[in-house]
Amino acid sequence: MGEAFTLLGFGPEGWGHALLTAGLTTLAVSACAFACGLVLGTLCAWAKIAGPPVLRRAADIYGVVLRGIPDLLVIYLFYFGGRQIVTAIANQFGHTGPVEISGFVAGSLAIGLISGAAQAEVLRGAFHAIPPGTLEAARVTGMRRWTMFRRIIAPQALRTALPGLGNQWQSVIKESALVSVTGLVETLRAVSVAANSTELPFLFFLAGGAIYLAITTVSGLVFRFAEWRAMRGQPAMRVGG
Amino acid sequence: MDLAFIAEVFPKLLAGLPLTLSLAVLSLSGGAVLALMLSGLRASSWLGAQFANFYVYIFRGTPLLIQIFLIYYGLAQFPALRHSLLWPLLREPYVCAVLALMLNDAAYTSEILRGGLRAVPSGAIEAAKVAGMSRPTMLRRIVLPLAFRQALPAYGAEVTSMVKATSLASVVTLMEVTGLARAEVSQSYRAIEVFLCAAVIYLVLVTLITRLVHWLEARLSTHRSPALDRSPA
Amino acid sequence: MNPTTVQTPTTVRLADIHKSFGKQEVLRGIDLEARDGDVISIIGSSGSGKSTLLRCIPFLEIPDQGEVTVGDETIVLTGAAHRFSRVERQKIRRLRGQIGFVFQSFNLWPHMTALQNVMEVPLHVQGRPRAECREEAEAMLAKVGLADKRDAWPAHLSGGQQQRVAIARALASRPRALLFDEPTSALDPELVGEVLRVIRALAEEGRTMLIVTHEMAFAREVSNHAIYLHEGRIEEAGPPQQVFLDPVSERCRRFVRGQAGPVD
Repeated sequence: MGEAFTLLGFGPEGWGHALLTAGLTTLAVSACAFACGLVLGTLCAWAKIAGPPVLRRAADIYGVVLRGIPDLLVIYLFYFGGRQIVTAIANQFGHTGPVEISGFVAGSLAIGLISGAAQAEVLRGAFHAIPPGTLEAARVTGMRRWTMFRRIIAPQALRTALPGLGNQWQSVIKESALVSVTGLVETLRAVSVAANSTELPFLFFLAGGAIYLAITTVSGLVFRFAEWRAMRGQPAMRVGG
Repeated sequence: MDLAFIAEVFPKLLAGLPLTLSLAVLSLSGGAVLALMLSGLRASSWLGAQFANFYVYIFRGTPLLIQIFLIYYGLAQFPALRHSLLWPLLREPYVCAVLALMLNDAAYTSEILRGGLRAVPSGAIEAAKVAGMSRPTMLRRIVLPLAFRQALPAYGAEVTSMVKATSLASVVTLMEVTGLARAEVSQSYRAIEVFLCAAVIYLVLVTLITRLVHWLEARLSTHRSPALDRSPA
Repeated sequence: MNPTTVQTPTTVRLADIHKSFGKQEVLRGIDLEARDGDVISIIGSSGSGKSTLLRCIPFLEIPDQGEVTVGDETIVLTGAAHRFSRVERQKIRRLRGQIGFVFQSFNLWPHMTALQNVMEVPLHVQGRPRAECREEAEAMLAKVGLADKRDAWPAHLSGGQQQRVAIARALASRPRALLFDEPTSALDPELVGEVLRVIRALAEEGRTMLIVTHEMAFAREVSNHAIYLHEGRIEEAGPPQQVFLDPVSERCRRFVRGQAGPVD
């Protein structure tokens, strides 16, 4: 037991620093991916609600395709496929040999793309939960579209979307473990390396699990708090009134 | 796009489909049984409920991939296990993958089941009680059918997500569709074509499952659309 | 329309308004003029087109044909397939800026407190200084008797209180005309009085108002002009004494009697 503490600690023989950095990398990848997903999701939700038919169709297809493909394949496509494309382009310009691309960037984009499909659904549902009369009341004042989106639509929709977005954030954190296949040293990669070199795989994968659990638990609490704050004085909104 | 190359790769990847399907079917059935057991445990006692909650919390709070690694690589850390009779089984990546997928699926499925049970209207239960139904009859005739109908869409999503999750088995050397694709890429270096082929296979599979679930849903919820009843027989 | 105040300028004018929903012709050529200070009540059975008529003024419903004027803004519609140009859309926005609309179902913004609801349009649509908006919003809330509810969320207010906040919200944009679309129809009977009192006080201030309502006694008392709509046409129009007590149209007579009940 003492040995385990030394190994997981921050001493000269401990992996503490490595794991801490890796945990932060997990958070960073997740945050970038979630942000990508939010942008994509918002655009797609808009396309589905009010976009021209072509965009609406495109958003639908995007959703169906991304929900039908394993996350791991999407990451492979971005990482290895991206490398293939970048290499081809570089070779056109006289560069020889393969070009490496960042696992961080490829991973964030891939997971962002996956999450975007789900976030679009969350946001669309939230938009449709807005009582239409409140939009009419804004329209009748001569409010501009952008003001209406900023002041009336977004605040109401975000409240309703908060639980769904919270779930998406949790999914993104868990999906970020897949980025380890690109060699990016996030939590899972770091514990794999430690497991290998110490020959204590159970200990280190358990520690890795604990890191993820800590992140998901704390974010769960943060989202719960945010929901509580957003719902202050809004008892009617929960029942869709 | 090099069609000849794709025509060559596609059958190679399809060869992994049986393994993908067997992983999915085994872990889903195992997961369903475990989920029912968890539900029973939850209903049995306070301690049982605490255990079930903890189980769900752990498995839903960590990535599936780390669960697979913990079982596949982690268990080897214990000499007692390595020398036990179980070792020939636990050394097998297939067994480990199914085990991890199953345990993971059980956590999600038990939550879906819980949601379905919670959605059973209390009036339906009261009516059954008043009619003098015994507890098992009530469970079998009223509660479970209603809960199942309620949970079907969510469970359908869980089935497709498990089918997709089987691709993680490739990380512990299993040659299912994704594993074969990965191997093919390391030979041909044509990542885009190969992975897109694999993606198409999963997409078709998932689409078929989704259709099936929709069909089931429509069949099971005819009682919800009075318009159908009014149509001439 | 009001013989005693012919000299006052026109605030709202509708000319030959037509509107269909699919094959259903809801408005079949309506002309209406409200001069400054007029209080016009619009009555009629449900389905007579009276709400649609009111909603055509701020283009919540787009008339198929006709002419809508509010203040200095006039919009002319020529056919059912009308598509608005950029300039026309701006015009509609300016036109909307000159009216205050009160809905049957209040439609307060649920994510804002009472005060925030009232301040929203002056602050974020009209771009007036915050301090001024705040002061005026508080005054408006006081006017409808809800000064103490300024920080309450809509969901915590009764229907009558919500409707009074909605009236304060409509007033806050300093409109030239107030439009009321059945303002008491969604209220429990015991809450109707408090809302009618507020509307009556506004009428006494000399505000220009168009009121679609089922409250016959109130309409008779508060308005200087009344219109009875039937199947999308104006069947009877005139001073309230005429429309409510001695209408020319037999149909209007029956409608008013049926609505008013034995008390009148």
